[in-house]
Amino acid sequence: MRLNQRPLSMMIVDDSTVIRNRIARLVSNPQLPLIRIAGLAANGEVALQMARETRPDLITMDLTMPNMDGEACIEEIARFLPDAQILVVSALSDKATALRAILKGAHGFLHKPFTDEELLESLVELIA
Amino acid sequence: MNIPLRPQDIEVFTEAITHYFNASTGEKASVRSAYLLERGGPVIWNDFNGLIEISGDYHGSVCFSAPRALLSHVLLKMGESVFTDERHGDIVGEIANTLSGRARRHFGEGLGISPPRLLEYPSSGIEAMAHSLPYAIPLRWHGYEANLVVHLEAC
Repeated sequence: MRLNQRPLSMMIVDDSTVIRNRIARLVSNPQLPLIRIAGLAANGEVALQMARETRPDLITMDLTMPNMDGEACIEEIARFLPDAQILVVSALSDKATALRAILKGAHGFLHKPFTDEELLESLVELIA
Repeated sequence: MNIPLRPQDIEVFTEAITHYFNASTGEKASVRSAYLLERGGPVIWNDFNGLIEISGDYHGSVCFSAPRALLSHVLLKMGESVFTDERHGDIVGEIANTLSGRARRHFGEGLGISPPRLLEYPSSGIEAMAHSLPYAIPLRWHGYEANLVVHLEAC
């Protein structure tokens, strides 16, 4: 990932408002470089449109969502934003799902429920 | 032929509840023994009921049912400052989703999980989804009582 003077931009995709808000609050942690929230999306369809418009550096992506699920969204975004770093944040805990998400273009996988520390560690690894 | 769940299948959901409250709030939930929920048995539904529909190699539903006060406390622990009905409905669905998703460690990806939806009249909503009786898993957290209702069969 390219690290320059400008803050990294991040899109948060989850059908839960509570989870979107929680992730947005945690990214202002001083352990992380400056991150600007580019947008919050509640499903894959909205996320796809938002990713085209805002071209975020980082994306957290839920998998089980209405309209367009996370796997389909990752596949699409990886085509037009190959440098975007995508962290899947999902409750789906089987290995096959994690592997498929990585093959479609995700760079990391964090299982729900997560602690604040686990999310921060995952984001640090993603940015490094 | 539909195959009812075995005790070890139910144990997975018990473990998921314990893990959820530990990781999300830093505080343990006390999970009691699961029991079969007879039709016409005690009413266990609460203020908010988040339902996940199950498909794939299994069919049925998983429903997390909790009182408003428990959900308000969970929201507070997660740093929320908004305590509307919408936010309570959001978190009850998210808990149902997270508990179902963790069960895929045991059941595999054949356990298809829908996005959560809220039920206002849960007993009529779940009876149609599986033929066997549902299991209720009671839990206590911070003095509040809640239930996970697992109504699931292997296809």
